[in-house]
Amino acid sequence: MLASHQWGDVDRAKATALMSLVVTEAQGAGAQFCDVRLSETEELRLYAVTRQAPDERIEGNAGLGARVLVDGVWGFASQPLRGEHDAKSVALAAVANARAAKGGSVGRVTLAPREAEVGFYQTDAVVDPFRVSPAEREALVLATLQAASEEAGVVRVQAGVNAKRQHRYFANSEGSLQEQHFVESGGMVLAVAANDRVVQRRSYPNSFHGNTAAAGWEYVLGLDLVNEAHRVGSESVQLLSAPVVGSGFSSLIIGPAQMALQIHESTGHAIELDRILGDESNFAGRSFIARDAIGKLQYGSKAVNIVADATVRGTRGSFMFDDEGTRTVPTHLIKEGVVQNFLSSRDSAAREGLTSSGAARSDGWAYLPLCFATNVFLEPGEGSIDELVERMGDGYYIDDNRSWSIDSIRWNFQFGTEVAWEVRKGKRTRLVRDFSYGGLTPEFWGSVEATAGPEEFRTFGMPCGKGEPKQWGFLSHGASPTLVRNVKIGVS
Amino acid sequence: MTPWFGEDRVLSALEAALSTSLAGQVEISATSRVAHHTRFAGDRIHQAQSITECQIMVRAVVGTGSARVAVNSLDQVRRAVDRAGDLAKARDGIVGAARPYDVADGVVVRDQAGLWYDSSEHWDVGARSRQAGAVMAEARIAGGTVNGTLHSAVTELAVVTTRGTGRYACATEAGFTMTVRCGDASSYIGDLGRDVSTLEVERRALEAIASTSRVREIVPVPDGVHDVVFGGLAAGELIGFVPDFGFTVPAYRAGIGLVAQRPGEQIAPESVTIADDARSAVGLPFPFDFEASPKRRVDLVLNGRVGAAVSDRASAFESGGVSTGHASIGREQSPEPACANLVMAEGTESEEDLIGGVERGLYVQRLWYNRLVDVETGTVVGTSRDACFLIEDGQRTKGLAGGRFNESVISAIGRIDGIGRQRITQPIPNIWNSCITAPAIRVRGFRFGTRSRDEESS
Repeated sequence: MLASHQWGDVDRAKATALMSLVVTEAQGAGAQFCDVRLSETEELRLYAVTRQAPDERIEGNAGLGARVLVDGVWGFASQPLRGEHDAKSVALAAVANARAAKGGSVGRVTLAPREAEVGFYQTDAVVDPFRVSPAEREALVLATLQAASEEAGVVRVQAGVNAKRQHRYFANSEGSLQEQHFVESGGMVLAVAANDRVVQRRSYPNSFHGNTAAAGWEYVLGLDLVNEAHRVGSESVQLLSAPVVGSGFSSLIIGPAQMALQIHESTGHAIELDRILGDESNFAGRSFIARDAIGKLQYGSKAVNIVADATVRGTRGSFMFDDEGTRTVPTHLIKEGVVQNFLSSRDSAAREGLTSSGAARSDGWAYLPLCFATNVFLEPGEGSIDELVERMGDGYYIDDNRSWSIDSIRWNFQFGTEVAWEVRKGKRTRLVRDFSYGGLTPEFWGSVEATAGPEEFRTFGMPCGKGEPKQWGFLSHGASPTLVRNVKIGVS
Repeated sequence: MTPWFGEDRVLSALEAALSTSLAGQVEISATSRVAHHTRFAGDRIHQAQSITECQIMVRAVVGTGSARVAVNSLDQVRRAVDRAGDLAKARDGIVGAARPYDVADGVVVRDQAGLWYDSSEHWDVGARSRQAGAVMAEARIAGGTVNGTLHSAVTELAVVTTRGTGRYACATEAGFTMTVRCGDASSYIGDLGRDVSTLEVERRALEAIASTSRVREIVPVPDGVHDVVFGGLAAGELIGFVPDFGFTVPAYRAGIGLVAQRPGEQIAPESVTIADDARSAVGLPFPFDFEASPKRRVDLVLNGRVGAAVSDRASAFESGGVSTGHASIGREQSPEPACANLVMAEGTESEEDLIGGVERGLYVQRLWYNRLVDVETGTVVGTSRDACFLIEDGQRTKGLAGGRFNESVISAIGRIDGIGRQRITQPIPNIWNSCITAPAIRVRGFRFGTRSRDEESS
């Protein structure tokens, strides 16, 4: 095992014994199926905000969650891990929940039987972010804060770095036994500029609390935070006096960070099978995509090829097994604009006669696996950004999300970006502010003309909320800058 | 349901850990939540869940250095105290860093009044499963489906500091949400509080099923400016944006938002009062925050005028004030003060009275994916969702499909001309023990649909 994974109190032997105990107890209490997630996690966050002392925290937790099927009805329980009695306790509580739920349920679950899966996975990390000295972390964050604050007109800056490490173990009553070890690192800067009429913001490397990758401290250093902070601060001030674009229809080149959000909201969520089946209609919502869409629904243009591939290393959606033990494989969700597959779990896939696509994700040990995106990206095309801008002719180059809204079936969306540049005759010209665009999901994706090549491709890790109680899925989306024609802009 | 820690156990463990500390100052807060969720969809309870989570967070201050370390077992608190102290010491003297704020001093209180209800404690998985089964069966009879969640929980918070503070409280919680669907028609209900007996879950579910099954026609939301009655949940979604308009001390210090730019200005009718009030009997009352600061009522909008901002110990220290008890550390976020118990004052009218005062307009029960676009104007983009109706001649008539809105919430609350007397509570995501409690409101002139910038400027 890599050095950066050698930490904590729960090793393979201890985890295996505890999970085996859970399965045995659950079966003894009447469960026909049981799976167990046991994890130990630490997260480090250091933030500095204008005028305040930097705040660093390291949050650790360990616990386990058990899911059981009793006579075709699910039950689940989770709790912090202290010792063997916790393993017994969650097993019995999960079975008790399933028995109680049986009385209120008409429907029953039948999982497709499956062979045991045994495996080991670990993130590649060169420099352990938890072994970087507090002084080094703080020096980087304070220098970033200072750089973003230099331009007159910047009123507030937040800078930060983050890291996470996790041992994640899984076992089930079919004999699967898996261990995965993760390390994440990330960084961010956000500058807010204001005058007496206008407030503007710029962020780097992404507007959702920066960017986080499955990597070591080398990823943070590679962000070049201090130099980028100068640019972010300066652009936030420039935006204060930038013009606002009128409304109408225009060609757009959407940068990778905004495309990540576009993919997340209008593809990732729309293609979750539990949502399509109605399981999430009380909170997260449903989908305009129907159960019979595979091979039929023309979702986008021929330039639209969207893949779920957690085997790609280095992203926040990278892993070998999902949280119900399904080995991940690259899966085309959309190929040449046509729906090919769903993001599914064992339960949802079984109800549709499909095989799980390995997208059952849970927020650590405490929560039930739900259908979440993994590493879902738009495959790149060809050429550079400059070539794409020239191809567009007139329009706007936009990036970095500022606001996002989409309806509960993922059909009608309206997004705003932090930044936009007017493009005239194939050249970027002036900066404009408060840019927004909107449309209907299949019309938007049907208007995609081209994507830039692999050298322009970027990946962004982000959290996502779903479920009741709400849990977070940690995932990633990627894209190259993408040319879309005839998009409605300037909506408000 | 019993608290995960228990008062004596947690306070003695935290005090023992404090006594070992070598740091200058230490604060330890312990939170726990034992929650049970019965989630159902269509014809099955698909997620019967019991989830217990806890966190013990140590904050140590050494000279100019400070650090927090959190664990989720009382057995590990001493280790966390040592580690936080070591981290704080390593940061002491770093050039360019501002001085950290002190931990709370001198208060030892047990704050338990009005927090615990046996009715919620005894609303167990069996009772919730029976209720879920009953409403699903009723929906099937009506030709529809119902999806939802029933939950109960026990929450604890204990705080101790090396400057003599010790506080503990625990509280019950119960809540529900349900979406009823009959053909294209839908309805959404929900509520949240300390006492399940006040929620009337089954009665409200059966009413929602009956009213949804009577809807015969669904039409699109007409683009344009409407008189709109927002039910309590939708009103709460809108009111939930008010803190974002500059009602925190850091925003005020940056010169952003209403408190900084328009202090005391009349922005709404005198009938509109919006406060953050964790001492209110509604919602999820709680006496102190995780820094042990007593939760004070802060009037954000008082009788229609711009009021004050909330603070935590860090922002109060920086501005020379006293914390209002609004410390918050959201997941994956930096610590910052946050409104956690928003309450809008109730009015005198029933929801039917509010609807009766609209000749032609909209009734909106649920909003969705609402996002702040502009902090200065208070513009929010979002959509309506389940259970929206046309109002014609003072009556709810046809059902409405979901529609998009772009509207300034600051302007909209200025056009409230009717406030309901019943209030509904809903949770706020990513803030500990947080909720919004709001009555139905009637807003004259609320725009649905998108408009062009040219229209906006004309």
